[in-house]
Parts: sequence; C-alpha cells; structure tokens
Amino acid sequence: MKTLRNLLGATAVSSMMATGAIADGHGWSLAEAAKPYAGTTVDVVFLLRPGYEAIEAMLPVFEEATGIKINIIKHPYENALGEQVRDFVAGGDLDIALIDLVWMGNFAENEWVLPLADVQAKFPDIVDPTLDLDDFFPLVLNAFGGWNDTIYGLPVDNYSGLMFYNRCMLEEAGFDGPPSTWQELKDVYGPALTKDGKYAFALQSKRNETQSADSFARVLWPFGGSFLDENFRSNLLSEESQAGLQFRQDLMQYMPDGIVAYDHAETVNAFSQGDVAMITEWSAFYSSVVSADTSKVADCVEIAPEPMGPAGRKPALGGFSMAVASQADEAEQAAAYLFIQWATSAENAREYLERGGVPARQSVYQQDGLEAFKFVPALVESWQDGVPEFRPRFAEWPEITEIVQEWGTKMMLGEVTTVEGAEEIGTRMEAVLDAAGYYSGDKPLAQ
Amino acid sequence: MRGQVSRKTVFAFIGPAVIGLAVVGIAPLLYAVWTSLHFYNLTKLKRVEFIGLENYMTVLTDAVFWQAMGRTFFLLGTALPLQLALGLMIALVLHQPGLTLIKTLCRLSLVLPMATTYAVVGLLGQVMFNQKFGVVNQLLGGADINWIGDPENAFAMIIFWDVWQWTPFVALVLLAGLTMVPGEVEEAARLETKSKWTVLRYVQLPFLLPGLVAVLILRTADTLKLFDMVFTLTRGGPGSSTEFISLMIQRVGFRGFDQGLASAQAIILLIITIILAQIYIRVFYKEV
Repeated sequence: MKTLRNLLGATAVSSMMATGAIADGHGWSLAEAAKPYAGTTVDVVFLLRPGYEAIEAMLPVFEEATGIKINIIKHPYENALGEQVRDFVAGGDLDIALIDLVWMGNFAENEWVLPLADVQAKFPDIVDPTLDLDDFFPLVLNAFGGWNDTIYGLPVDNYSGLMFYNRCMLEEAGFDGPPSTWQELKDVYGPALTKDGKYAFALQSKRNETQSADSFARVLWPFGGSFLDENFRSNLLSEESQAGLQFRQDLMQYMPDGIVAYDHAETVNAFSQGDVAMITEWSAFYSSVVSADTSKVADCVEIAPEPMGPAGRKPALGGFSMAVASQADEAEQAAAYLFIQWATSAENAREYLERGGVPARQSVYQQDGLEAFKFVPALVESWQDGVPEFRPRFAEWPEITEIVQEWGTKMMLGEVTTVEGAEEIGTRMEAVLDAAGYYSGDKPLAQ
Repeated sequence: MRGQVSRKTVFAFIGPAVIGLAVVGIAPLLYAVWTSLHFYNLTKLKRVEFIGLENYMTVLTDAVFWQAMGRTFFLLGTALPLQLALGLMIALVLHQPGLTLIKTLCRLSLVLPMATTYAVVGLLGQVMFNQKFGVVNQLLGGADINWIGDPENAFAMIIFWDVWQWTPFVALVLLAGLTMVPGEVEEAARLETKSKWTVLRYVQLPFLLPGLVAVLILRTADTLKLFDMVFTLTRGGPGSSTEFISLMIQRVGFRGFDQGLASAQAIILLIITIILAQIYIRVFYKEV
C-alpha cells in the first residue's frame, strides 16, 4: 500500500513538474497563474491529424492542474477555415484561432486575434517566465505565428516537406539511397521503380489546398519559380516557373493514375501499402507511416530532405499556430493564453513529439535519444532553409488558392498547357490583387 | 354575414404559415438579393459596399460559371431520361396484376435509396468505386478502372448514383399515376388492342402526365442544387469535371468567402429554375 502511495505520489509530482504546475526557480507556476480562471471553458478548433491527437492525449494533465476546460471542436482541414471565419464573423464562441500560415493575413487584418504582446501586457501574471520565444525556430515562429512583424500565435502543429522513401523498394531496384535532385528522381528512379503496378512517386494533387500547396508550389520554388515577382505581378510565365510546372507534367508518368484525386490520405496510404516508393509529405504524417498498425512498410520507411532543384532545395513549409481570439471575454482570453503557452512549451515538447506531434522548439531537437524519430535531421535542415512565402501569406490567399487549384488541376489533366494555365492563373490572380488595392498603393506589397 | 369566416380566423389559420414562410424562405432570399448587390466578402467586411449589378455582370461573363451550368444540364440531360425510362419500366411491372406480396416488398425496397442521406451515398461511392479495393471493379472481373481520378469516369459515377437514388422516386410517382387509370377503361383498351405501347400512349400516359410534370420539376430543381453527394464523393473533381453549379456556388461563397458573388450566382440559378418550371408546366399541361 505504501509502495502504491509512493508511486502515485511520484506520478503526480512528475505530472505537475511536466506542466509547470508547481513553482519553479522563477517563482511562477501554472497552477497558481490559472487559479483566477479555474472553471473557464476554452473553445478551440482542432484538426483530425496526429499532432492534435497528441495534445488531446496530454490535455487531462493541463485541465487537472488548472481547472480550465478545453472544449475541442474537430474539423477536417478543408472545413477548418470556413468554420472559423463564420464563427468570428458572427462573434461566436471560439476563444482560440487555429491558423494555417496562409490564413494569418486574414485573421490579423480582421483583428480576430490579439497580438501575443498585447495579451501578455493585459495579463502579466499568466506569462511563464520560461516561455522563451527565441527557442522556437525563427522561420517557423515568424511564418506560422507572425504578420507584419507582429507575433500573434505560437506554432503548434508544425510541418516541413520531407521525402519519405521505402528503403526496401529502392534497394531491390539497386539504389542505396534516395534521389538528391528532382531531375534524378524523374530520370533515374522513375523508370526503375515504376513497374508491376507499383509507382516510383506520388505527388498529392487533389483539387483543394493540396493542389496549390503540396503540388503546384512544390514544383515552382526548387526550379527558381514563384507565384509573384517583386511587383506582385504573376511570375508564373517566367522560364523558371514554367520549367517547374512542365517538370510536374513529365513526372506524372511515374505516378499512380488519377493522382489529381489523391489527397494526403490517399498518398500516405499508397506509400504505407507499398504501392509507391517515394512521397514528399508533411512531417506530421511520420507517425502514421512508421506505425505497424497503419503501415505495411513501417520497417522500410526512411526519411530524407526533399530533393533539390536547379534553385536549391526549397522544401514545402506549412503549419499552424494558435492565437488568442479577440472575441473571447477576459477570463477566456487568459485561459486560452495559458493553454497555448502550455501546449507549445519547451517542457512539453518532448512528450508532444513522442505522442506523434512535431514541436517547433529548437531545444527539443538537441536532446539525446531522438534516434527513433528519423525525420528530425531532415526537418531541422528544412526549417533552416525554408521559404516563408512558399504560398503567399496575404489575406487574399483564400481566393487565389481557389484559382490555382482549378487551373493547376486542369494543367495536370492536360486540359490546358502549362502556359495557358499559367496565363489564366496570372490574369485572375492579378485581378484579385488589383481589387484588394495592391496595385493602387492602398496596400503595401507585404511579403 | 352568416357563414362567412371572420378575418381574425383567417389570419389565425394562415398567419403562422405565412410568417414561417417569410422567416425561413423569403427573408433569406431578400438577404441574398441584398448581398448580391454588394461587395460582400466575409473576410473583408470592412470593405462592404454597394456595387449595383457588378456581381451579376461578373457571373454572366464568367466562362467557369457557364461551364459549371453546362455540366449541370448535361447531368440533367443524361440522368433524368434514364430515371424516367427505368422508373416507367418499374412502375409498369409493379402495375401488373398478381404477385401481391412480392410487389409490396418491391415498393418498400424502392424507398430505401431515397431514404439514404445524400452524403452517405457519396461516402458509399468512395468505397465502392475505389480503384484498388472497390466492389465495383471486383464485380467487373477485377478491372483496374480509375473511377474517381478520371474525369469521364467520375462523371459517369455521379450519373450512376443519381439514377440509383432517384429512379425509385420516379417509379413510385408513375405507379401512383397508373393506379389513377380507371380499371374499366384500361380493360376495355386491352380488349381493343394487344399493343401494350398503344395502351400506354393513349390510355395510361394522360394519367401519368401530371406526375411526370411534377417529376420533371422536382428532379430538375434537385439536380440544379445537387451538392452533398458530389461533395463527399468527388468534391467537384478531378479538376472541374464534376463541379456542378451548386458546388461552384459553395466554393465561391464558403471557400473564397465572396458571399456577394455567390449570392448573385444563386439568384441567377433560381431564375433559371423558375423559367424551366414554367416551361415544363406550359408545354406538358398543354398536351393534357
């Protein structure tokens, strides 16, 4: 009995330490800071992805320590923006905004979220002295949580594009490693690995954000292209952009039929079933491809940085931050801040990582014992060489991404050429930017 | 005056229905008209401004809108005749005398597709038409047909599901029409001719026309606003191959957040639906 009591006591203490629930060297504790807000309910949108399941699994410790209830509303990615926009327009219940890096312009310009510094100034007692913003990867903090040099959110679900490859399939075909360039992937690995119903590569290209972020943008940057030039005019007809888009067309012969219907789930599944040898996917899907429960090839999975193009690696960058909603009342704002601070803290980063999340804390990746997380070296490299404007991060992106999705898919289906598609996207994209006031000088060319 | 119902009574009976209709039907419609005349983007509410008919001009000159409209009418033009033909065949079979129990069971089973939620039909389709493990390819002898990722196949799949779900409705409506034919008239006609076509054309069809007009109007309206099944099955893809007009309006209004433009599209769609309904009524009722 005594042993059991000791064990329970030790568990409770370690849990409290993990949450910062007891006073640390700075004299601040989560439990003390949260006392005035005990009983407050915080409403937040979560996605149906591993990083959110990780936080959900960790949540009881936070709720027990603070008395704050976190009410999670789950949505698939495709619905998350719409649901949140409607909530904020209607002055709804959400106390935290979950913001994809390309949504930040919308949320910040509409003042739906509060700058982090404003929240901290408003509630100085709840600010953890060990928060240490410098511990976040600068690229990630600024791209995911920042807008116009102001930090609004803290990075919570963090992605970088990585190459997942099936070592067994590659070895069987005579390769001792993954391709280092996109050209090599197409010219050498493509023909050797595409046979007997198996494919060398799959590039998720479904007509939604996947088409614009994972497919279209992925071939623009490594080839030296971009959506816009320095004057915010379309750059899609440039030689470099066209080279990237044409490369995607040529690479399709080594992808499964109907790749334009492949979203993340189909792509990860094709890889996990051993039908595809290589995919370029977000780091967030690592936990599912290496789990024997969800992957037939778990033992063969290896991770590498995305291949390089003529302009360098330029890997895909994506991810989410959580920011305090301006529509929440004061108690909810404070409780929301405490939750965000806790969920993204350096103290919890290791557990978050081990439960399937991808933290943006630099310190966690310097710890020992991370050998099991094969994606870490490639991830760290990507976050030091990423392109923040991989997708333009302005408020007009929701309109522009629809245009890119439509015409990008038409290109892949061969309904238009890459030049025709680029012309259409360029014309429509510039019309949106013109209406927004970028060309008249009403809005700065902020990127 | 004796026997005349007082105004209060009339209002008491009709008032709640009129108020209900105004709240759930007319008010949103008026609001849609108002937004269609404004620049009204949910993410740019600080810039709401009256722009007159600009949204309507944008819609009417937008090739993508008319492509989606064309796609919708192509679906209507292919699925509806199939539904009518198959529905009529089923109705005629069920109208035959005898086999009462089997016919009753058939009538009951006809309700099942209609009772299935649109979104569930779409999800069923995703599984059944999956290229690798879908039952459809298995039934086709292990064929390797890419249903969801190929534009033409995806469109054919939508037609299949629409026909599957709504043929029973057509059959039941037409069966009801057939039961309206007086037994002695039908019996006399059968004594006059052995041609089933003649009986159908000159005796049964006039009784079927009111039901057919209802079917045409309802199915046209349903097809024009077809959304849930397609959204869950293909989300309008691959490319734009199954982006029907309602999906486009949803995309503009709730993914691009341009409520003004989406409202203008919806109002134009409403006008087209009303015109079609009028044409159906005038053309077919004239024949009656």
